[in-house]
Amino acid sequence: MTAAAQPAQPAHPVTGLDDVVHQRVRLGVLTIAHEARRVEFGYLRTQLQLTAGNLSQHLGVLETAGLVELEKGYEGKRGRTWITLTPAGSTALAEEINRLKLLIARVETAETP
Amino acid sequence: MTSDAVPGGDPRRLLSDVRDLAHRVRRDQRVTWAALLVLAVVTFAAIPFDWFGMQVDCKATGECEFDRMGVLYYWPPALLLAYAAIAYGYRRIARSRGVDARILPYVITGVALIVVFLGAWISVRYYIDHNPVPTEPLPYWQMFLDRLVAPSGLIGVALLVLARLERNAGLLLFTLAYLAVVLIPIDFGWQTHSSVRAEFVPQQVVNGTVLLLGAAGFALAQRRRR
Repeated sequence: MTAAAQPAQPAHPVTGLDDVVHQRVRLGVLTIAHEARRVEFGYLRTQLQLTAGNLSQHLGVLETAGLVELEKGYEGKRGRTWITLTPAGSTALAEEINRLKLLIARVETAETP
Repeated sequence: MTSDAVPGGDPRRLLSDVRDLAHRVRRDQRVTWAALLVLAVVTFAAIPFDWFGMQVDCKATGECEFDRMGVLYYWPPALLLAYAAIAYGYRRIARSRGVDARILPYVITGVALIVVFLGAWISVRYYIDHNPVPTEPLPYWQMFLDRLVAPSGLIGVALLVLARLERNAGLLLFTLAYLAVVLIPIDFGWQTHSSVRAEFVPQQVVNGTVLLLGAAGFALAQRRRR
């Protein structure tokens, strides 16, 4: 005799959070890159108020995960690094935002007496 | 936003940060004043083309027939050049700010509007050639449609698309005001008291001036923000 099947509980949105994306700076990088064709390293640094070394570390994590692509080049004599969001990065960002919205909805439902 | 903050954090704050950042990047890509300036220049430059390219045939009864051939030959290449200039300007200025803007939507909008203009023009020509000339004034809705698919109206439609692409509320409000001026023409009596050629000039000057004032306004607003 088997027990009656329990109705499947929907997974809590927290369980689906991706550690690579669910981090303030990396989420910021993906958001900024999503709004343009590509963004320059210096622009990201200014917008996110980071040191060059700190931003490089976060970009390394995102690049390793295949969420952004880095392109180095020159404009005149000045070296420039451009960051482009990959399709995987775009999907990861959309999923993260959806999960954040779900989390907020959960919290608001729980807070309602 | 600092990196030493704990990973994750309050979802409300994260989402609010995301929205704020997205808004800032969109704002940094806007070069609205340049788009309006280019369109104003194109509008003013159209006046001599329309004046000298217009074929007017006045009869002894005082009735006149006219054909605005200058409009047909001027606007398609002018719009094409204008949108190419706007796309180039957007890319160049945004790149200098560290953001490489997507310009394909602007190019597609420009080409689509030229196709609409040419299609509307050819349809009207075909209709006129195969139907008797109307003796009564055209109904209001036909005149409204005529103004909408005319180059000044299409500039308004293009600005609406631009406002949507940029999610620019200021440009949306400006465009609605511009379209009101274009679609509900201002007439202080010049349409009945002037020659056929001169009849179209005041409205073109008004349209160009509105665009020029818009360019100045957006440039000023941008300078203040920076």
